[in-house]
Amino acid sequence: MKKEGFFDEFKKNKALFAMAAPAFLLVLVMSYFPMSGLILAFKEYRYNLGVFGSPFNGLQNFGYLFSSGTGWLITRNTILYNLLNLITSQLLAVIIAIFITEINAKYFKKVTQTVILLPYFISWVVVGVFVFSIFNYETGLINSIIQTFGGEKVNFYMMPMAWPIIICAFNAWKWTGYNSVIYIAAVTGVDGEINEAAAIDGATIFQRIRYITLPSIRPTLVTMILLQVGRILRGDFEMFYQIVGNNGQLFNATDVIDTYVFRSLITNPDIGMTAAATFYQSVLCFAIIMIVNTIVKKIDEDYALF
Amino acid sequence: MKKRVLATLLAAAMGLSLLTGCGGGSSSGGSASGGGSGEAAAVDTSKEVELVMYVISDRPAGQDIVDENLNKLLKEKLNCTLKINWIGWAEYAQKYPLLFSSGEAFDMAYCAGWLGFSNLARRGAFMELDTMLQQYAPDNYALQSETALAQATVDGHLYAVPTLLPTYTTYGAIYRGDIASEAGITDTIDTFEEVEQYCDYIVANHPEMEAINEYSSGPETSLVWTRSNGLYDIDANLRFLFYDPSAEHPTVTPLYDLDGATDFYKRMKEWSDKGYWSKSALADTDSQKTQNGKAGLTFHNIDTWSGYTVQQPDWDFKYGTMTKDVAHLPFTQDCMVISNTSKNPERALALWNLITTDQEVYDAFYYGIEGTTYELNDQGQFTILDMDLYSTNAMWAARTMELNRNQAGVPEEYDTIRQGWEETIKDGVGTEKFTGFVLDTTNITTEVAACTNAKQQYGWPLELGYTDDVEASIEEYRQAMKAAGIDKVVEECQKQLDAYIESLGQ
Repeated sequence: MKKEGFFDEFKKNKALFAMAAPAFLLVLVMSYFPMSGLILAFKEYRYNLGVFGSPFNGLQNFGYLFSSGTGWLITRNTILYNLLNLITSQLLAVIIAIFITEINAKYFKKVTQTVILLPYFISWVVVGVFVFSIFNYETGLINSIIQTFGGEKVNFYMMPMAWPIIICAFNAWKWTGYNSVIYIAAVTGVDGEINEAAAIDGATIFQRIRYITLPSIRPTLVTMILLQVGRILRGDFEMFYQIVGNNGQLFNATDVIDTYVFRSLITNPDIGMTAAATFYQSVLCFAIIMIVNTIVKKIDEDYALF
Repeated sequence: MKKRVLATLLAAAMGLSLLTGCGGGSSSGGSASGGGSGEAAAVDTSKEVELVMYVISDRPAGQDIVDENLNKLLKEKLNCTLKINWIGWAEYAQKYPLLFSSGEAFDMAYCAGWLGFSNLARRGAFMELDTMLQQYAPDNYALQSETALAQATVDGHLYAVPTLLPTYTTYGAIYRGDIASEAGITDTIDTFEEVEQYCDYIVANHPEMEAINEYSSGPETSLVWTRSNGLYDIDANLRFLFYDPSAEHPTVTPLYDLDGATDFYKRMKEWSDKGYWSKSALADTDSQKTQNGKAGLTFHNIDTWSGYTVQQPDWDFKYGTMTKDVAHLPFTQDCMVISNTSKNPERALALWNLITTDQEVYDAFYYGIEGTTYELNDQGQFTILDMDLYSTNAMWAARTMELNRNQAGVPEEYDTIRQGWEETIKDGVGTEKFTGFVLDTTNITTEVAACTNAKQQYGWPLELGYTDDVEASIEEYRQAMKAAGIDKVVEECQKQLDAYIESLGQ
């Protein structure tokens, strides 16, 4: 069989190409063109010379990330936080999706679903105010309760170890509802007859979930996790910034790459140094997604992203 | 919303360069045509333009009606309108630098040493005004002193229009006169001991308020402590390095290595333990606690104080200078810059000329609408009619000795205190000698970035007494700063300071 070139392919599927064109252009303009800006990571940016006119300065822009030894700490924090958030929010989303589809009462189901989705629409700025009102030492909700019952007040802003839990909890609170929408679709898509047959054969509800629902949504789960892994070095800046704020005592436990970069350059802004951080994140993200995808491919080719 | 800062920075920078095609051409084109055309000073006003100005403060409710009134005047005099955008106190540190990197086209902005004037200027954020200022703002230019213009010159180019009203290096305590007299304190509170006495009284008798206003922008106590000992910071952005201006050969020293630093930090821990400020201060974004009766004392400058006195006349706000050696701040402490992205720099300068030399325009720009936002008494002093509607503009650089009005109700001390300072200031002596020193951080950007971070991570909590063991925390701070490269920063600052002193001797 003669190998067909791009042109033959194009002639044969004109309509398909036409349909793909807008999406292709969008990705090109929004995702590929801006990538040329990564060149700034190796330049000393000047406002008046622009991105391409500014002079090169080698690897100097990366210096501040690693010179003081913080580079490894914040990279570790970013990865650990993302892993923790990935596991909790996806796990909770799956559980909630199964529960919601198993609920039969129509109104209760709808109300529950809405309530769980609601936090997704609340901005981190507002969440930051919640956090301050709950945890602050003098008038915070928790400390007020403790005081009412005659306990010793707790200064959360001096306890770095409490914050991974707080951050993780708020992250799950915000994202679980949103993520569960996709899983609800997947769970609803499971063939009802299989479930019915299993029920007739005497399977309990937990057995049905374990042996029918979970295996059926496995492809969705793997895809969702792979997509999240691709962002594992991107700290959700707003979440960390609004929740932790300027509390230096917490930084060792809560600092992610994005917040560190932001804080370091706040008084002496430098676009080259910011670009360097993004470049570093992108390269590591790329490497990690390639590795994970290859592993998934080895195990089961159908589940891999590409 | 996610990843806003990094993403917008990069994307916007890209967008700018893509849209303008040749990002480099636009700025030099503007100034070249300004200098080369050789036309008379009058600016061409045939086309109507809208000028955009950025200032730093919380946007007042009445801005729209003030704009409308001012624009009627400007339309008639210069065929232009002015749109003023405000960047709030809680977000200025984040948003201000982004103004210049986002590529947004705007014309004028407030700038100052503490906003990184020289650093931004060196990186080409501003339009150079070498010939334009003289050409399009001749009356303003005529009033500028040589010192002021020299301070606004970076790498050989003029990048800002300095203020025409001198300001001072002083920091001090702004406190409630009514509470002080309640506490039986008659002397002006201007030492740490007196502050303590005052705060103890508040903690004991006014549980509804914090004694000292501390919030998420970080503590000011180290600045007050160094100023009251006659020390001065090397740069407004490097307030962890200090030197003694009265010494013949001043040495640049990190805050924690200064004589008495340990005692200072111990005292701050005592203050914190006594409850002078919240244990969650760094998470609190409310910057207006003192004006609103939620805190008893703020460490800041005399102009902040005069604002408080008028806002809350019943509380008898007082000011205690806590600076041993007062000097003028550089005239770039308040300045106006023209953005590199400005499409109408000529008109912007003409407008600036008008604002700084025409009383009618200045009043409409700075105080708003007579009868609605302010009124004048027979001495020409102004009164703000509705604080919630509009107080004054935040473009402090527009003030001049001639046009600026005193606020009716500002205590006489405002003038007497400042006159007292003028009398002590001697040209070229003490801190005044260093007014013209501008630090160039080009060679130490990496280290400065890392130190800025370490200061916030270890310095701020220590200064707020959030520690169990002061000495161990100081050591931890010192080690973090060393790892961040403080030694190289000190060395570079020392080198530049020595060179400055040498240049004075010639």
